[in-house]
Amino acid sequence: MNKFQISNGKTINKPFNKIWVVLAILVVLTIIFWQFITYDSSMIDLSQLFVIVKQMFTPKNTNLTHRTWADYFAFMLELRYPLWITIQMSIGGTIIGSLFAVPFAIFAARNIFKNKYINAPFRFVMNLIRTIPIILLAIIAMAMVGAGVLPGIIAFTIFSFGIMSKMLYEVIETVDMNPFEALESTGANKLQAFSYSIVPQIFLPFVSYLLYIFELNIRASAVLGFVGINGIGEVISVNRLYNYDRVGAAVIVLFILIFALQLINSRIRGKLQ
Amino acid sequence: MKNSEKTLSKKPKKWIVNLVFGIALILALFFSFQGSTINLLRWSTFGYAIKAMLKGFTEINLEFLFGYGSRQFVEGIVYMAIQTLAIAFIGTFIGAILALSFSFLASERIVGKRISKIGITLITIIRVFPEVILALMLVKAVGLNPLTCVIAIGIHSIGMLGKMFSESIDNMDIGPIEALNAVGANTWQKIRFGIIPQVIPELTSTALYRFDINIRSASVLGVLGTSAGGFGALLLLASADPNNQWDTIASLLIVIVVLVLIVDNISAYLRKKLV
Repeated sequence: MNKFQISNGKTINKPFNKIWVVLAILVVLTIIFWQFITYDSSMIDLSQLFVIVKQMFTPKNTNLTHRTWADYFAFMLELRYPLWITIQMSIGGTIIGSLFAVPFAIFAARNIFKNKYINAPFRFVMNLIRTIPIILLAIIAMAMVGAGVLPGIIAFTIFSFGIMSKMLYEVIETVDMNPFEALESTGANKLQAFSYSIVPQIFLPFVSYLLYIFELNIRASAVLGFVGINGIGEVISVNRLYNYDRVGAAVIVLFILIFALQLINSRIRGKLQ
Repeated sequence: MKNSEKTLSKKPKKWIVNLVFGIALILALFFSFQGSTINLLRWSTFGYAIKAMLKGFTEINLEFLFGYGSRQFVEGIVYMAIQTLAIAFIGTFIGAILALSFSFLASERIVGKRISKIGITLITIIRVFPEVILALMLVKAVGLNPLTCVIAIGIHSIGMLGKMFSESIDNMDIGPIEALNAVGANTWQKIRFGIIPQVIPELTSTALYRFDINIRSASVLGVLGTSAGGFGALLLLASADPNNQWDTIASLLIVIVVLVLIVDNISAYLRKKLV
């Protein structure tokens, strides 16, 4: 099947399709990795999924605890205190981290500092910080300064710094450089040229990224509760064993917040284009 | 007044915008540090913690790190790293397969404008839920094991992958399919030679990018419980008493950074080759 005879007498070899190699590698990798996914198949009971969804989104009502819908909504209202803490930490982390990211992004951008030996160390630091998961940052921060709001702010700051610096230097590298060169040719120094030619171009993306990182932080706060950072994640992790209805209330609140943030951000991005 | 001065006086009053923006930033910062109680006691613990940290970072337990000697390989951190890799890989694989079916539902070209809106809304809703919450819901049904993490990551991946997949299907060039029509190809041949070669590079590139992200979430998802796979058990141990666990934190830090850097570089290399 691999040789074709055309009417003018030439034979054509069908090229070997690399996709079969790729597929084989994929299958082998999946089989190997599947060995590490240990589970007890007798424990799997998918009907429990509906039970837990029902438990999450209706008030708990057992022999020992009787809660009504009024309690459910009252608890949701009470969630404003932990939610406040979460928002507070996220705002602080987003702003400080993003501000720190600006100089790093400028030094890492290839079109502003054309020297490779200046870009490389800054990029290395950025990549290194970006690899650390936020939960580890939170644990380290808690060990350093104790519990409370402060370790949350520190963790969010470093996390935001990692993401913002990368996105910012990528956007700086795509801007139009002509105004920058024009300003430099009139005798402006690098800082003046940057603030009058590049800042106007990256300002709106910067604001959009701020909102995006704020959303990421809020999302990450759900996981941070498991290691003891205050806020809405704490409510989820504390109640996750016995009070599913409280987890459900927290999930609804978090869902509404993230959804609203996504809507606002997509509006801003629509204005950008 | 000279001409140039006149022009200068017409300069837009940017300082008002800057002032408002700056004041808003400073107010937000003040608000965010409310109740964070920065005091001398905090600074004293800070110094102590730095000392303990430096000591812990120099005393990394290699037997624990690689799982040899007094410990079995299964107990070592390197084994956990491989398990994390496995969770992320299979999670991405499942997510990509699921996302492909969702992307057909969200693509305007295949199902029309009205149904595609439903599909897009569905994808957005899936994307909003953090993985931890999905995993939390799955724990009762699947049990506290790596499989839960795999399914949670798979479902969460639908959000991003489905959106990107449907966009790349919508941006597909219709020309090759028309050409195949003209030579009388059947449906399977049209899919095989008209659609797949066009979309595969983009889909793989997106899936690889998602794999990068999933590695990070897989290393975190273990916090659900000690048997949830990945680094979970160690993260919980470290968070319970961080000042006595600096060597654990240090080895975790090293392993995670190395793992993520390797995966990042491999996927970046493959993506560069694809596109």
